[in-house]
Amino acid sequence: MVIIDRLCYNSKLRYVNAGEKFAFSVLTLIACVISRSIRISCLVLIMTGVLTVWKGGIPVSRYLRLLTIPLVFLILSTLAIVLNLSGTPMDLFAVPIGSVYLTGSRDSLAYALKLILTALASVSCLYFLSLNTPMPDILNVLRRIHCPRLILELMLLIYRFIFVLFEISSAIRTAQNSRLGNRDYRTSMKSFSALVSALFIRAMKKSNALYDAMESRCYDGTIHVLDETFPPRKREICWILFFEAALYLCVAAEKIVL
Amino acid sequence: MEDIILKADDLYFSYEGEKSHSLNGLSLEIGRGKKIAFMGANGSGKSTFFLCCNGILKPSKGTLYLDGKPYDYSRKGLLKLRQRVGIVFQDPDNQLFSASVYQEISFGILNLGVPEEEAKREVEAVIEKLEITPFRHKPTHALSGGQKKQVSIADILVMHPDIIILDEPAAALDPKHTTLVNRIVNQLTEEGITVMMSTHDVNYALQWADQVFLFKEGRVLKSGDPVQVFSDKQLLLETNLEQPAVLELFYSLCRKGILDSSLPIPRKLSELEGYISALK
Repeated sequence: MVIIDRLCYNSKLRYVNAGEKFAFSVLTLIACVISRSIRISCLVLIMTGVLTVWKGGIPVSRYLRLLTIPLVFLILSTLAIVLNLSGTPMDLFAVPIGSVYLTGSRDSLAYALKLILTALASVSCLYFLSLNTPMPDILNVLRRIHCPRLILELMLLIYRFIFVLFEISSAIRTAQNSRLGNRDYRTSMKSFSALVSALFIRAMKKSNALYDAMESRCYDGTIHVLDETFPPRKREICWILFFEAALYLCVAAEKIVL
Repeated sequence: MEDIILKADDLYFSYEGEKSHSLNGLSLEIGRGKKIAFMGANGSGKSTFFLCCNGILKPSKGTLYLDGKPYDYSRKGLLKLRQRVGIVFQDPDNQLFSASVYQEISFGILNLGVPEEEAKREVEAVIEKLEITPFRHKPTHALSGGQKKQVSIADILVMHPDIIILDEPAAALDPKHTTLVNRIVNQLTEEGITVMMSTHDVNYALQWADQVFLFKEGRVLKSGDPVQVFSDKQLLLETNLEQPAVLELFYSLCRKGILDSSLPIPRKLSELEGYISALK
């Protein structure tokens, strides 16, 4: 998560209008989900990959490594679809175990593949957004589309304090390690529980201090801040519209043909 | 007659079940446009007093006066008070709530009900003034301690306060950023802002401050001209402070007869150096 954050602040697409990026990734995501087709998913995967790596300047190896995280989950969860225990062997493969077969069909493999690709393409859309757009910019877009204020304010504060608490916890951890706090299993369990409780107390204290500091700047219950927006560009909007139109035509064509 | 901007009269405050950090009959007067240093051991009540000045804490007894008028703790009164008296907290991580520098600075001024266009101009101006431009697009969690401090000062300055309170601004800063913060503080004074600062740096307080308040156990132990306060060694000992190096050396040289004790007391190293090089 910290890596994603660092990458998005250095992305070459960072100063592109956040609304454009948001629209692109959400529309593309919806196309993926409603089409559920291998071809559309591949197209989306390529498109978001090219945009993130080539236009955004995110290192390829990093991007691929990030994609493997959901991939592992997807493969594990689709295993259940492909593998069956049955008395009769199916067409793809069959491994006899005693009187039953561990078996799978071609159809179920195709289905699993479709699921994996659709999900992966959807994740890549979200990666495109999160790897090229800093969190405050995403929040601005969400506010524009009238997301509830309370949720947005919580997100703003949580996002900031993830980093503050993360820093504290790593400092505590270093302090524990420097005093052999993780010498063996027993001590490391003990240290971890101490870390959690210390962190909890620190979080409480920090939140009180933050509230005081906000009060001292006339906080009245709602967080009013200015957005720093980057103007949308016509050329980019045209490209997005063109791509989305083409994508949705493909989706429609697939649905009609099949 | 001196122009008093802030006055505290016999303040009492204590945190629940805790003896330290409380105020026990604190009285003082702050002159308009002055540079005031607050010194004293940890837990002597400096930060508590600051929170009282800003209306975050309400003293259980005693009254604070701003421009001769007692504090008004109604909603409207507090809003006005907090615009005029701003605190820069010691730990910027307790003050910065947004990941975006720009959003962060805009918070205070928007709370005052300033229209967005004007607020934008003010935020830009303060970013320029405090030299935040080179890192304005970085997230606050990626800033260095000194940069966070600059942003937290900007947070307050954008509200155009009459009094700015800095709680140990140089804590955990490298010398370069300490110099930068000190330069900003000097700018504030030039604009006529009253600066109240708590610090443990006696050398800095000696050359910077117009007036020093020594706190002990929630009361003012001694106040006055820095030279006068720092010359009293016994007093400094009581408050866990040391005598500034310049004074110590000057008095020692006077005792040994090397320097003439009728010379005006030096406040900076360079002044003392001038005296010594004039001996030849």
